[in-house]
Amino acid sequence: MPPGSITMPDAGATTTDNDGLLRLMSWLSPAFPIGSFSYSHGLEQAVEAGLLTDLDSVTGWVAGILRHGGAWIDAVLFCQAHRAVRENAPNRLAEIFDLAEAWRGTAETALESRSQGKAFVKALSACWPSEEWDRWMAGREAPAYAVAVAVAAAAAGIAEEAALAAFLHAVAANLVSAAVRLVPLGQTDGQKAVRALVRILPEVVAAAAVHPLADLGTATPMVDWASMRHETQYTRLFRS
Amino acid sequence: MFAAISPFDGTQELDASSPPPPGMHGIAEVRLTTRDGKTDLADLRQVSPLRVLFPTAASGDPLTAALVTTSGGLVGGDSLAFDLRVEDGASGLFVAQAAEKIYRSSGADGRIDVRLSVGRDGWLEYLPQETILFDNARLRRCTDVDVAQGGRLLAGEMLVFGRTARGERMNHGLIRDAWTIRRNGRMVWSDALHLDGDIAGRLDDGAGFDGCHAMATLALVVDDPPPFLTILRACPDHSQVRFGATIVNGILIARWLSADAQTLRRSFGYAWGELRAAAGSCPKTLPRLWHI
Repeated sequence: MPPGSITMPDAGATTTDNDGLLRLMSWLSPAFPIGSFSYSHGLEQAVEAGLLTDLDSVTGWVAGILRHGGAWIDAVLFCQAHRAVRENAPNRLAEIFDLAEAWRGTAETALESRSQGKAFVKALSACWPSEEWDRWMAGREAPAYAVAVAVAAAAAGIAEEAALAAFLHAVAANLVSAAVRLVPLGQTDGQKAVRALVRILPEVVAAAAVHPLADLGTATPMVDWASMRHETQYTRLFRS
Repeated sequence: MFAAISPFDGTQELDASSPPPPGMHGIAEVRLTTRDGKTDLADLRQVSPLRVLFPTAASGDPLTAALVTTSGGLVGGDSLAFDLRVEDGASGLFVAQAAEKIYRSSGADGRIDVRLSVGRDGWLEYLPQETILFDNARLRRCTDVDVAQGGRLLAGEMLVFGRTARGERMNHGLIRDAWTIRRNGRMVWSDALHLDGDIAGRLDDGAGFDGCHAMATLALVVDDPPPFLTILRACPDHSQVRFGATIVNGILIARWLSADAQTLRRSFGYAWGELRAAAGSCPKTLPRLWHI
């Protein structure tokens, strides 16, 4: 596969590079009806606790989530799920679904993953129907969001690396958007944060692709703490 | 071997320069059952350096087993395997006799595997003491829990990144602390702390440990967890401790972070006492070994 290619080499004639790109842009757009804007992954509490006050602290917090936190777990499981579909291994995919559903640090990060997963399945099945997608998702109504996106991408013949980069970009941009509203950050600082996070995405994508499941884990107890405390935060705009 | 060993009492600690010999594989298997309506020991197997002692239970406490590591700690290549089972209707308290020390490793990982299983209407309490990680330690610990319908379990762990009382810190190494919780054999919750390589960087990072060198986790598995979350949230706040609790996939999880291991221990111990009383009908007072 040429470097940077979005389409898998064996994906058949129906999917062109731009088709894959445009699908990713549509499915991972903030306008895709899964309610991403209502989740902050505990960031709202981190702001409330005075931990996030400026561009640097916000960028560091989100980078931690991408490299060592919930988004990192999602990234590794994303690769595993994509691979299971590519290699036509439904039993392996079922194990990834189960693991992804069990692997949630807090009530609200579980809600975040499950609700977005459910909405993603509903929207994709209604608006982007495909037999391949239906076949892989049979009986999975509220899967982990990351795994659902991975299956959608693989079923559409979109390459793992491109799909994961786009997925993580959406996660990062959504958290920055929450920070812009909550800290608050100016729009320019928001874009600077996105730019800084985009720089680390290739490293995260490459690491996730080769990371063994046996070593799957997080190193962000402060994010878990923030998410737990968010459950009892008095004034809140976000569901997580 | 029964010396009080704690991260706060530097004078009684073994020196880092004289770790125990490598390649030890301890086993402790305990099975508790019921006979004539009372909990009784059904099976016991112990392989050095693990020993299981059965001190007289404190008033109101269930059958109590003290878990002892006679080597005083682990080096790379060592392993400890616990298999602790409480059958239908039985109750048991398993308590670590002392802090577990994980010495620096020249390369190999140390392993601790903990299997906890609880039958219908059983009660299992697994009260740890601190696991103290020396700089360049390498540890993989897996805690695998299975609780049948109607069974109840309270389990936890405490990690201290270095002998903090001496101003030491774990800067490099490996710590993997993985949990899997099953109900009736079905996995419902899975989680792992995984720090590999640059530990100091993760301890300092704001989204990581934010400067804290001690952390604790507690899991309560019961059929109806919400009342116990309320109890945990009503525990007094300790300054210098970050505390949070949640119910995720039906499991009550609480976590503590602190720059001060002793303050964390107090806060953790208080919450533990509240939960063992509310969920296990045990006294709020923790067993004597905890206080030594």
